[in-house]
Amino acid sequence: MPVCILLLLVALPLGGETEWRTAREDYAWSFPEDHWARDGYKTEWWYFTGHLEAETGERFGYQFTIFRVGLVGDRPEIASSWTAKDLVMGHVALSLLPDPTGRTAATTGEGKNGGRHRFSEVVYRASALLGGFGTYPDSLIAWCRPPAGTEGDWRLTWNGTGFDFEMKDDGRGFEFALTTRPIKPMVFQGPDGFSRKSHGTTSASQYYSFTRMATEGTLKVDGRTFPVTGNSWMDKEFGSNQLGEQQVGWDWFSLQLDDGREVMLYLLRDKNEQIDYASGTLVDASGETRYLTRDEFDLSASGTWTSPDGITYPSGWRLLLPTADIVCDIEPELADQENRSSIVPTMRYWEGAVRVTDTAGQGLGQGYVELTGYGDSSRPAL
Amino acid sequence: MIRYFQKALGAHFRAGRSLYVLTVFGVALGVASVLSIQIINRNALAAFEGSVTAVSGEADLSVLGLTPTISETLYPEVLATEGVAAAWPLLRVEVMLNRGELVQSLERRVFLNIVGVDFYAPLNLPWAGERNEEPVSSGPDRIGHSWLWEEGWCAVSPAMADQAGWSEGDTFDVSLGSRTTKLKVGALIDFQALSPLASPKLVAMDISQAQALFGEPGQIHQIDIVLEEEVDEAAVQAELQSRLGKSVRVVTPAQRGEQAEGLLSAFRLNLTALSLISLFVGLFLVYSSTQASLIRRREEFGLLRSIGCTPRQVFAIIVGEVALLGALGVALGIPMGYWVAEANVEKVSATLSNLYLLEEISSLELPWWLYAMGIVIGIGGATAGAILPALDISRRDTRSLLAAFTLHEKIGSLAPKLFGCGAAILTITLVWYLSFGHTWKHAGFAMGVGLLLGLPLMTPLTVQATCSRIRVRRFSLGYSLRGLGVRLQTTAFAVASLAIAVSMLIGITLMIGSFRTTLEVWIGTSVQADIYVAPTSWRGKGSEGTMDAETIEVLTRHASVVAVDRLRGFIGYSSMRSNEDEWVNHRIGLAGVEMGLSNGDVRFPLLQGDRDEAYRRSTEEGAIFVGETLARKLDVWVGDDLTIHTPGGPRPFPVAAVYYDYSTEGGAAAMDLRTMVEAFGPGGINSVALYLQVGQDPERVVDDLKASLPDAPLQIRSNRRLREQVFRIFDQTFAVTQLLKGMSLVIAVCGIALMLIVLAREQVSELALYRSIGATRQQLFRIYVGKGLGMGALGLLLGLFGGILLAALLIFVINRAYFGWTIQPSVAWGAIAQQCATILGAATLASLYPALRASRTPATELSRENL
Repeated sequence: MPVCILLLLVALPLGGETEWRTAREDYAWSFPEDHWARDGYKTEWWYFTGHLEAETGERFGYQFTIFRVGLVGDRPEIASSWTAKDLVMGHVALSLLPDPTGRTAATTGEGKNGGRHRFSEVVYRASALLGGFGTYPDSLIAWCRPPAGTEGDWRLTWNGTGFDFEMKDDGRGFEFALTTRPIKPMVFQGPDGFSRKSHGTTSASQYYSFTRMATEGTLKVDGRTFPVTGNSWMDKEFGSNQLGEQQVGWDWFSLQLDDGREVMLYLLRDKNEQIDYASGTLVDASGETRYLTRDEFDLSASGTWTSPDGITYPSGWRLLLPTADIVCDIEPELADQENRSSIVPTMRYWEGAVRVTDTAGQGLGQGYVELTGYGDSSRPAL
Repeated sequence: MIRYFQKALGAHFRAGRSLYVLTVFGVALGVASVLSIQIINRNALAAFEGSVTAVSGEADLSVLGLTPTISETLYPEVLATEGVAAAWPLLRVEVMLNRGELVQSLERRVFLNIVGVDFYAPLNLPWAGERNEEPVSSGPDRIGHSWLWEEGWCAVSPAMADQAGWSEGDTFDVSLGSRTTKLKVGALIDFQALSPLASPKLVAMDISQAQALFGEPGQIHQIDIVLEEEVDEAAVQAELQSRLGKSVRVVTPAQRGEQAEGLLSAFRLNLTALSLISLFVGLFLVYSSTQASLIRRREEFGLLRSIGCTPRQVFAIIVGEVALLGALGVALGIPMGYWVAEANVEKVSATLSNLYLLEEISSLELPWWLYAMGIVIGIGGATAGAILPALDISRRDTRSLLAAFTLHEKIGSLAPKLFGCGAAILTITLVWYLSFGHTWKHAGFAMGVGLLLGLPLMTPLTVQATCSRIRVRRFSLGYSLRGLGVRLQTTAFAVASLAIAVSMLIGITLMIGSFRTTLEVWIGTSVQADIYVAPTSWRGKGSEGTMDAETIEVLTRHASVVAVDRLRGFIGYSSMRSNEDEWVNHRIGLAGVEMGLSNGDVRFPLLQGDRDEAYRRSTEEGAIFVGETLARKLDVWVGDDLTIHTPGGPRPFPVAAVYYDYSTEGGAAAMDLRTMVEAFGPGGINSVALYLQVGQDPERVVDDLKASLPDAPLQIRSNRRLREQVFRIFDQTFAVTQLLKGMSLVIAVCGIALMLIVLAREQVSELALYRSIGATRQQLFRIYVGKGLGMGALGLLLGLFGGILLAALLIFVINRAYFGWTIQPSVAWGAIAQQCATILGAATLASLYPALRASRTPATELSRENL
């Protein structure tokens, strides 16, 4: 249930008189077709995060997300190539992770193109010139123009077993093209892929994941090209009404443990910073899933980090999941992995690579964490 | 000294009320004249710049077409260019607001500027709340993307909503070409928050709807670009230009402003020049009044000098007083100037949109520098006018000041020399022009300055020579006229200032009369069809205002119609290599007509080119006809090629003929419709001319056609109606010019009144003597009225001479250099006679009050000293 853009999406009112489809417990899944855009739902996204390593030892965390935001149910019958029923949005981040051995130094200096965490974004109306969504069985799932000032496209395609995706942002000095292959089978997040987000019946999404995918490709930072390999996590989620009225944000965790298990946890917060709803999924090494209830786990923040804009996020957690015999610490690889939107200047969220250790500091795995709804201005209007 | 200045000031002003009132009035009129023109000039540009700022205020660069539209596929190209931080497409169309139930309060024809924008691009639009509500921070929250799916959804400015009485949800009809479209007020966007001078008639729509309703598929008009910080703007501009090709121009906001400035430069310069003449006439008035005031106060200055005042202090007192009068004139002139500008803005606005196809002026601003300019002109001008008399009096010794005298008393003996100087200035200017000056664009104005300097210098001798020939038999008119020659130091200035004003009056009247006659002849030959049909929304600007085929079919199917002439027109760009070897683009009007139409050859009265050969080449070789204004501007004539930007790139067209053209100032070219389709692609027809069977009544056919197309937003006009409209536009174009010459005349007539008051003061002893030896009050009254009439007649005489020269200058030099129009000179005798009578009448009226004062001079004013 990633990415704070959900906050943005819920801020957008329903387009016209469109009656959007809502998530259902009895949704009839159809794969691979459901990897493509599902019309009729207001919001939908394809979300990839992962940890990559270059042959020369440099380590990277990445996020690649394409959103479909439904504006109207059907494309207006207007004789113009600018007419659109969706927005296509892309959020991409790259974290240049510190090398614990001190052997490499992949990062460059500070400044707009420098820094260890870089965020790139686009928003376009889905139209022939700017971006759009493919239809099954064509391999193209989604594409859009890169940010202004950059040639080429951002693309997400189905390669038969996994996903290929590429992006480029010359202004921020990075690009990558990655191909993924699932190592473990796809899992539903929530029974039959119905992921509840509050105690009511309407706040929910259709949600599935590939929790562990072998990843390879090339990555270019500030002119240096790195062949990379690593592990990715993929989420696909769609629905029309994911958040409850009282909810303002969430903490979301995707952890890939070295023992072959994966854990996904999400905690939705209300206006009083209390946990309004929480749930999760445990995937064992064979790919079997067990859905976690709020009382099965305890997640407590061990520190905070304050952004340059003064937004204070939790930073570092201890996870207790006794039923799975998990006690671990989750630590950000970099403190500052905040995505700061320039298109919607008030939109800020923390999305970053984390490492998982036991309480003695021994590595247990890796993961990604998303923290949204912190600070006063994190529910931006488009 | 300062205390003396303060204390004496009030007393002097009270004692010489009429003098001072006239001085203040003269300065005020001069300031008002210049200021009103500068306000209009400034706002003509500001209207353009204001709308540019409102629509493209954030943009560092804009991509504009050199053809009517540009392909939207250029947009991704722009986005992909390094250094571009953001870019968004725009579609701009002018539509006409139809009068409906809601739209009753507005003037007759209102054009709305539709701006099609991508509402999802990173634009900072100032969404506004409903009227009287607080602005809302975010439009889309409330609007819910209606702009995409709700047909005709648009956002209007709060000012326009107020003006038309619209609220959100209201609908109104607009027309473009022969189509009528219903738009719905979906939201308010306060463009004027971005730029106060932005047109309230800007209407924003989503680009998809704007393109579908008013545009062409795949075509847009503009791409606005924001650059990354700290990039080399010129380098990105060059890169974009090379990447996007030659059919577009990539310009900075400043370059767009310069373009509008360039388009309007001739218009602005000419109005400024005329307003400066008004000011010049006003300065005569200040000069004369200062002189009169000083004569009256000579004893005061003599006393001041005798008690130790230095010449510098006397000079300071005089100049200080005049500066104060100037300040009062400024205080009166600034509001007066604003009022004059406001009263005339609609006419100028119409000229801007008719002749220059630019934005109308919707509101006036008076920036601080215009106040400053008014102050400098008023106080500086008044001070400048007073310097000579002030120097003269401050340099005199005490004894001389205490004796009776007049200023510039030597003017009588200097008259021949002054005349020689004036004649020499005129001759030298003429010789200079004929030998070298004619190659310089501004030569006309240099000659104008020569005329303004020469004519006043020739005045004293003219007055002297004329008046000295008058034989005085009785104490009547002859006596009063002769007196004018004797009091040359006073009368010469009034006559000179009147002569300048009359020159302007007569010169402009002759020029406008000639122009009108030329236009009549031109229209007589070129407007031959019986009926002209054009969409009400079409003003020759964009390519979108087309008539659909069904409408044209209805028009041509009428039983009385024997032939149809179709016209397709839009604004295009020609390209010329400049002296610096750079390609320079010129905005031109392009017309496509059926060159092969039988009897159609009269449509273009040719200035150059063989008629039959030209028409053959236009239909067979794709050659074009070039309007005279364009031919002169670009120096392109028969045998040359004119490069015009087409969607396929710049293309040279052979010039087959040059025709007389008075339709636009920027220049125009015409080609066969087939050539236009081949070069620019297919496009709709913008207007149609119908030829009727012989003997048919055009007005009846017009009625028939209107009945056949009851709801079509078309102007169906008979030949006669079209001509009437052309002349209405013509008269509108010169409305401000007429105003200026009127102001000049008022200033000059004030000068006559002033001079006669001065004469009455100077001659107080003489008048007392006349009274003591038996002259009646009526006789003195008549003498003074005669003097006024005499000055009027002399001013008229010199003014006619100057006016003819000025008319020649305007017709043969200035108009050709700046506008490229050939005007056949002709004299509007009726108008000239009427103006002569007006001038003489005004001079007589102006002399009534001074005459009354003179006639009341008692014999007791006679003093021993005077005897």
